[in-house]
Amino acid sequence: MKFSVSSATLLKFLQKAGGAIGSNPVLPILEDFLFQVEENTLIISSTDLETSITTQLDVQGEENGAVAIPAKILMDTLKALPEQPVTLLIDDEAFGIEITSSYGKYKLAGDNPEDFPKIPASEEDDTVEIDASVVLEAISNTLFATSNDELRLAMTGVLVQVDFNKLTFVSTDAHKLVKYAAHNVNSNVSASFILPKKACTLLKSVLPATGMVILRFNRSNAFFEFDNTQLVCRLIDAKYPDYNAVIPADNPYSLTVGRADFLNSLKRIVIYSNKTTNQVILKINDGSLNISAQDLDFSNEAAEQMTCSYDGDPIIIGFNAKFLIEMLGVLNSDEVFVKLSTPNKAGLLLPTEQVENEEITMLVMPVMLNQ
Amino acid sequence: MDAFFASVEQRDFPELRGKPVAVGGNKERGVVAAASYEARKFGVYSAMPSVVAARKCPDLIFVKHRFDVYRAVSQQIREIFYEYTNLVEPLSLDEAFLDVTENKLAIESATKIAKEIKAKIKAATRLTASAGISVNKFLAKVASDIHKPDGCTLIPPENVAAFIDQLPIKKFFGIGAKTAEKMNAYGIHSGKDLKAFPKVELIRRFGKMGSYYYDIANGIDDRPVKPFRERKSYSTERTFDQDLQTMDEVKQKIVELASMVSKGTGKKNIKGKTVFIKIRFNDFITYTRQRTLHKITNEKTIIENTAIDLLTEFTTQFKPVRLLGVGLSNLDEKDQNQISLNL
Repeated sequence: MKFSVSSATLLKFLQKAGGAIGSNPVLPILEDFLFQVEENTLIISSTDLETSITTQLDVQGEENGAVAIPAKILMDTLKALPEQPVTLLIDDEAFGIEITSSYGKYKLAGDNPEDFPKIPASEEDDTVEIDASVVLEAISNTLFATSNDELRLAMTGVLVQVDFNKLTFVSTDAHKLVKYAAHNVNSNVSASFILPKKACTLLKSVLPATGMVILRFNRSNAFFEFDNTQLVCRLIDAKYPDYNAVIPADNPYSLTVGRADFLNSLKRIVIYSNKTTNQVILKINDGSLNISAQDLDFSNEAAEQMTCSYDGDPIIIGFNAKFLIEMLGVLNSDEVFVKLSTPNKAGLLLPTEQVENEEITMLVMPVMLNQ
Repeated sequence: MDAFFASVEQRDFPELRGKPVAVGGNKERGVVAAASYEARKFGVYSAMPSVVAARKCPDLIFVKHRFDVYRAVSQQIREIFYEYTNLVEPLSLDEAFLDVTENKLAIESATKIAKEIKAKIKAATRLTASAGISVNKFLAKVASDIHKPDGCTLIPPENVAAFIDQLPIKKFFGIGAKTAEKMNAYGIHSGKDLKAFPKVELIRRFGKMGSYYYDIANGIDDRPVKPFRERKSYSTERTFDQDLQTMDEVKQKIVELASMVSKGTGKKNIKGKTVFIKIRFNDFITYTRQRTLHKITNEKTIIENTAIDLLTEFTTQFKPVRLLGVGLSNLDEKDQNQISLNL
């Protein structure tokens, strides 16, 4: 196998595919990229057995073939080279690799491509076509609210529900919950699956900002296709809890406040909160929102007053400021609604204006105040 | 689950069925992680050195553990528990406490729930489980061990006192072999004997735990079923194939272990305030040493330096080292006031 390509182009594609390589691979070959050259196309694959990425680029091919090539050495070499054409020559018998740059030659040992794990392929699976921007938006809105608790495996991922033209992404760690729905999707299926966190993180970094994504899925895998690239991931095999049951339908009190002002205020106040709880207290009266925090261990305290519009009985409610900051940071609207009922029940955080064809609901559980 | 790891192996490899099986290394230094019921007849138990087990049961078949499979089964059974309640407190991969006082299906009889869960576990995993039902965690756990395998034991409130009275001290959950021995020396052989001891006496003889012993002997155990079991510490330890012969080797291993602890806690976003080490010499005498820092951490260099510092007292009387461990405890506690969704 032999081909030539620009070092910078190759590196760009390797960085795209490299995300699937695990930090602590169980098999040495999982530290490799699989390279396959067919005519003038180089196909690059990587996998951690759960998540796999395959991508392809144009190269100047001289001889077809395949090899598994250690990812780190190759990438480090390319990073250390100024952009220039490089040639890779692979001995198809012994899997020795020789890289030639304008400076010299670099040799490393590859592995037998036959030993590289087979990446699952999609067969007649359910198919959905979505704008890449919608998938990106859905993931950005939900990824942060997934759980780290491996005892509740389902909640460590993002629930994806496809219902004909509607696509819903849901995540929760039992303290916060996000439901993101897009209404302009093209499919003729109604089904759901749980996408692992790693796949979401990878998608976020490799999805293009524009263009279409073709999503195929079956009971065990999901396949995302875009830009000559395919990301395959094993789905989480667990039952997602009935999240709809915990989203309050009619929180009677409604606070309307500028999103950026609220966010910036919280960022200042949280500095003075207890470091383990990040607890802030919201005192809401007609027209005024008082945000305060204190850390008794260090005698730190802070309070700010903001104007707002509020419809409801005066309320004093505590939250983990980190949750509010994450949620407000993800939302885009100028103003947000905070819908509340009692100080020990779920609060809702909603954009005052939903983007066309999009619907975001964020829920946050309060902290009990010791008073 | 009954003889969990061993049963999974017998399920997946029919040739192991009906035979004495031990999961664990059969190397000179391995220990038995789980023994099949056939092996237990020969006196083979978990945590027994493999050499001893092989001596007790010459036909014992050693198989390598497959934790991925055990974890998957564990996940399957947990999903079944969650059909009934969210108040599930895992005790290990194959054991959990469930508070079914208010369950999702509004079933009034806990025994009925236990039987349903057992049936579902069997259908889903082709493995048997044993259940214990009672008024508190201590009694439920003890009850679950009574009729194994495939047991289902109820200790109703009116039988609690009589049950505890006859229960041999070594069967008490939370009383280990060492403590049981000590209690025997004081003439305590059964729950009845334990009950006869005043609380202050037990505390005087057994320290803080004395108060727990007194309570359980009197049927008092108010510990709630905690769905998210708080992790108390994070540690890594290694038994070496060959004893470490020099302090330099020990230090090098400590550095490796500290780095693993730092990596592991970093991944799980855990920090702790206390660094501890565990060291076992070739004469099996084991020491633990710990130091509490000024602030919580999971940084490699801090864990490493503290752990190496804790080693210094052993330099003067060095003996070959069989096992080393490094860990973090006194972990950053989560906010107890944070309310959770009932999912």
